[in-house]
Amino acid sequence: MKTLRVLLADDHKLIRAGLALVVEQQPDLSVVGEADDGRQAVEMVKSLKPEVVVMDIGMPNLNGIEAARQITQIRPDTAVVMLSMHADEGYVLRALKAGARAYLLKDSATTDLVQAIRAVVEGKSFFSPAVSRVLLQDYMRKLQRSGAEDSYDLLSPREREVLQLVAEGKSNKEVANLLNLSTYTVETHRARIMQKLNLKGVPELILYAVRKGIIS
Amino acid sequence: MPALRGISWFLGAHQRTGMGDCLENALSSRAQRRTLLWSVKQRKREDQSAILRYAQNDRVFTELPCAQESDLMKFWGSCAAIPREVLPLVSMPGLKNEDPLPSKKLRLALLLSFGGLLALMVIAGLEALRLARQLHAQEEDIRRTLLAHSQPLLVLSSSICVYNDQVQEYLLSQDPQAEARAAEEFSRLSGEINSTLSKYPETRQPEERVLLESLQRLFAEQQGMVNPVLSWSREERHKQAWRFLHEQILPEQARIYATSEKIAVWNSHQLDAADHALFASFSDLQARQSRLLALALAAGLVLSLASAFYLLRLEQEGQRRYQELARSRSELEELSARLVDAQETERRSISRELHDEVGQSLGALLVEVGRLAAAIPSGAPQIKDHVDKIKAVAETAVQTVRNIALLLRPSMLDDLGLIAALEWQGREVSRRSEMEVEIQSAEVSENIPDEYRICIYRLVQEALNNAARHSSAKNAKVTVEQTADNILVNVWDDGRGFDPQRVRGLGILGMEERVRRLGGTFTIDSKPGSGTTLRAEFPRKTL
Repeated sequence: MKTLRVLLADDHKLIRAGLALVVEQQPDLSVVGEADDGRQAVEMVKSLKPEVVVMDIGMPNLNGIEAARQITQIRPDTAVVMLSMHADEGYVLRALKAGARAYLLKDSATTDLVQAIRAVVEGKSFFSPAVSRVLLQDYMRKLQRSGAEDSYDLLSPREREVLQLVAEGKSNKEVANLLNLSTYTVETHRARIMQKLNLKGVPELILYAVRKGIIS
Repeated sequence: MPALRGISWFLGAHQRTGMGDCLENALSSRAQRRTLLWSVKQRKREDQSAILRYAQNDRVFTELPCAQESDLMKFWGSCAAIPREVLPLVSMPGLKNEDPLPSKKLRLALLLSFGGLLALMVIAGLEALRLARQLHAQEEDIRRTLLAHSQPLLVLSSSICVYNDQVQEYLLSQDPQAEARAAEEFSRLSGEINSTLSKYPETRQPEERVLLESLQRLFAEQQGMVNPVLSWSREERHKQAWRFLHEQILPEQARIYATSEKIAVWNSHQLDAADHALFASFSDLQARQSRLLALALAAGLVLSLASAFYLLRLEQEGQRRYQELARSRSELEELSARLVDAQETERRSISRELHDEVGQSLGALLVEVGRLAAAIPSGAPQIKDHVDKIKAVAETAVQTVRNIALLLRPSMLDDLGLIAALEWQGREVSRRSEMEVEIQSAEVSENIPDEYRICIYRLVQEALNNAARHSSAKNAKVTVEQTADNILVNVWDDGRGFDPQRVRGLGILGMEERVRRLGGTFTIDSKPGSGTTLRAEFPRKTL
């Protein structure tokens, strides 16, 4: 059986130990290293080439977001699972922009960690349910208070399908195959979704999808 | 002792620093406290900042003596979490227990002296007026008396002269009618002369009496001469006229003239004497006036010197107080700046400890509980229930600790940068309150020094909290803008507004202090009923 190698990065040893136990309990997962801060995590990714990095945002020297940006630049194949204390879109969006694919709240890390690792390895996204809930609440509140229309209603059924598949991490080609469309059409749909929802880039699109509860 | 209780209360929160213990011990007995205060008073001359006055509630004042400046610093360092209510009550020394301004007594004395001087001058003026009137009356009197004496004398002498002339005329006259008239004339003239003599004032000076007597005598002689002539016939008269004239009448006339001359001389003497008398009284008046004037001048001089001295003292006092005030103010500013710094440092370290120690332990606890929950065999629902409860409690604890740590030091500033932290803050406020917050930023570099980021963050935090809590605003907007010259921060809300001149809470003072410390300017634009705009501007060169 092929083993997935996981790197843990957190400045708290106790937390790392707990996470390591959870990971090691899975037969196909193994912890290959533990880093104390962001800088060390980047170095260890270079030398150990793990498949997955589970990393805390709040770390000394180099914070998790910066470290994730460097890691995805150095090794695009390494999937980053971000751990955070904050269910807030500022954090989520920045983590996504930095290249993280999963965003877990530390409170529920032990419960969701394995699920998240498996999702990112498959190229999917994963968010703690609490994160999706908070983002959705923020979104709804804003809509309600400003009296604006929910831009999701502007999307056609086909565009909604494309939105979900893109947010799940599928490439244009995969989406085209799944929906039986040409790549060009998928690209057009994507552009129109971005325009209708006033989004810039895939991270914002993913955030939007999480917010709307389209993916989790 | 309420004062000591106040200190104990205050120090209670800072026991762990050790400084609190030391101070409390120092103040444990009244005698010790007095000794310390005395030593502080001694030091006061060298370094007034060694005393800090503390106040708890309203009127419990006490003084905390600090032996060294470094102690003071340490003490402040340990007071980072000073309750904000105390902050404005911390007053600097030098503003109380001052000597009062130059006494009321002195002021009263000066006032009385000025009044006295004025009265003196008024009295002098009135006196001069009275004396001048008196002089005038005296002069009139003298003139009248003189007139009463000299006029009858002159009339008398001229009447005698006329009588003499008549006699001459009679002697030389050839007219028979003249003879008849002569008798009448002579008797009329003699009657006139006698009446003048009888009318002469009774008060007479010796010289005057002599003159009068000689006139009387002359007249009697005249009459004696004239009476036989009247009985003469015309021829007889014709024959003897010339001889009689030469021998009797002319010498008589000469005597009359001489007497008249004497009268004139006497008259002029009298006038001179009166003049002298007047002049003497006038000189007397002049001397008195001069004395009064000199007295008034001297008093005025003394008074103006005293006033000048008084004014000088007032000026010096004012100058001293102004300097003291300026110094106190700058010390207070420095102190509050230090307080803000200390507060931020302390918050950061508490936050760090909470995060690193408590947070980590709780996190580990959660992990362990999770593992425990997973390890529970499926046949023990009761145990699983317990473990779930433990987990829920631990999760609440984690959340609480996290919130406290965040309040103390917003980790998003370190994790995400200023703008993201502000956005986070905005969403937090939106979640908790009825107010929707929008954050707008343009070209803000993330390389702003930490103290500026903290300042802007705290400013926005305070402003948004104020707006959400007090203004019942529905919308708020924060804009952060970086230009070539400065960084501008605006916080606007559509709440009920207030009068910034009257309402100046600690929050606003705190914001102002933070901004000013970094060389920025802070303004509030608000009116009751029309929202509020806070504006902070930081010049680029201080960045």
